[in-house]
Amino acid sequence: MNKDPLRTKLCDMLGIEFPVIAFTHCKDVATSVINAGGFAVLGEAMHTPDEIAADVKWIRDRVNGKPFGIDLVLPASVPPSGSLDELMSNIPEPHRRFAREIKERYDVPDPKGAVDLHQWGGLNQELARAQLDVLLDERVPVIASGLGSPAFILDAAHERDILVFGLVGKARQAKRQLEAGVDAIIAQGYDAAGHTGAVGTFSIVAEVAAMARDTPIIAAGGVTTGRHLAASLCLGAAGVWTGTLWLACRESDVDMIIKERLLAATNEDTTYSRSISGMPMRVLSCPWTQEWAKPGAPEVLNAPYQMLLSSDYIQGANDNRRADLMTEAAGQGVGFVTTMKPAKQILYDLVEEALETFESIVGDS
Amino acid sequence: MRREEGFDPELAGKRAECDGGSGVAGTRFAGRQDFAGTLTGTFVDHGDPPWRWYLLAELTTVPEGYTDDSVWCESGNLFVIDST
Repeated sequence: MNKDPLRTKLCDMLGIEFPVIAFTHCKDVATSVINAGGFAVLGEAMHTPDEIAADVKWIRDRVNGKPFGIDLVLPASVPPSGSLDELMSNIPEPHRRFAREIKERYDVPDPKGAVDLHQWGGLNQELARAQLDVLLDERVPVIASGLGSPAFILDAAHERDILVFGLVGKARQAKRQLEAGVDAIIAQGYDAAGHTGAVGTFSIVAEVAAMARDTPIIAAGGVTTGRHLAASLCLGAAGVWTGTLWLACRESDVDMIIKERLLAATNEDTTYSRSISGMPMRVLSCPWTQEWAKPGAPEVLNAPYQMLLSSDYIQGANDNRRADLMTEAAGQGVGFVTTMKPAKQILYDLVEEALETFESIVGDS
Repeated sequence: MRREEGFDPELAGKRAECDGGSGVAGTRFAGRQDFAGTLTGTFVDHGDPPWRWYLLAELTTVPEGYTDDSVWCESGNLFVIDST
């Protein structure tokens, strides 16, 4: 029997030293983690197919043949589409007025240019499909689907020796994907940053692990310490998926103001709110989320209307680097992210603490 | 890109749930959305291998504030709950 508790079947599958996956939008973070013995998945959902191809080459040139992954947000449902003007015209005046009041109350500056959202076509089936085709053509070692089921791409991926991971928030999604033959399941709990299911990490990981048999399960949601890593393995996971952990590391390209907010944040400073996009997501609390949560606030609109409404605030805050207004997706583990370390050090500290945790809980006899 | 519409009479009229959601345009964010309704049987395949989407209508469960009367659901995230 293998005596190293961190040497998991995920390590064997990927040929990595530590069962830690960094999910990041920053290429420098990804390559640092990969070259330190972990694994990294680069979030490319909002990139064009050409940008994805360029990023894949960039990473390949820097990891000396080590594997890496690319994450796409495959849509799982899409409403009938409309033009931007049509969508904008559907936003009720009371909601527009409320947004204007927030802008005035907090002196939110105007965006410095056109709002990005209004220039972007949105993520539909056609774009997502074109993104996937790039990953197949490039034979990216791992394709991760951050939302929708990747089942339809499995055969094409496996023919190219590509592994496919699916991220789930409910047990039935995991069951469906396991039956389809995905190579690993990321079981994501409510503690996570951004979009999550309603089930806590402790419950979803154990439930999915129980049904997975030989398929590795990767725990996601609030994992920011070695104790979380050790706990995840004890729940039956073969590794962890970490995002917030890397946002404030030295290599990260996240704005320094946001990094400082992340480092100062406690695990009570995130909020699970629909006010940004119309869909529930965990972010750092900010005046926009706070105002929409107050009694008397209008009912939050559905996507994409709420995002059209919030985009002026979000980009105005970001363009003008207003620390008091800015927000970022962050998980409940953010309270453990307290210093700005290199990614390699973060990985090593995580591993060392996990090993210490295992040692500390084992009895003497 | 290949886009092919079709109709599946076996699914038409069946009640189903969709564990939906999508990315949020212009941001790094995404969100989950749950729907329930009745399948029309209409589907669309995108690309090759085909990525199949079904049209769910007569919606009985929608996210708060959802105003459309139907939604396209990815087949892997669709759960038929009515076997009759």
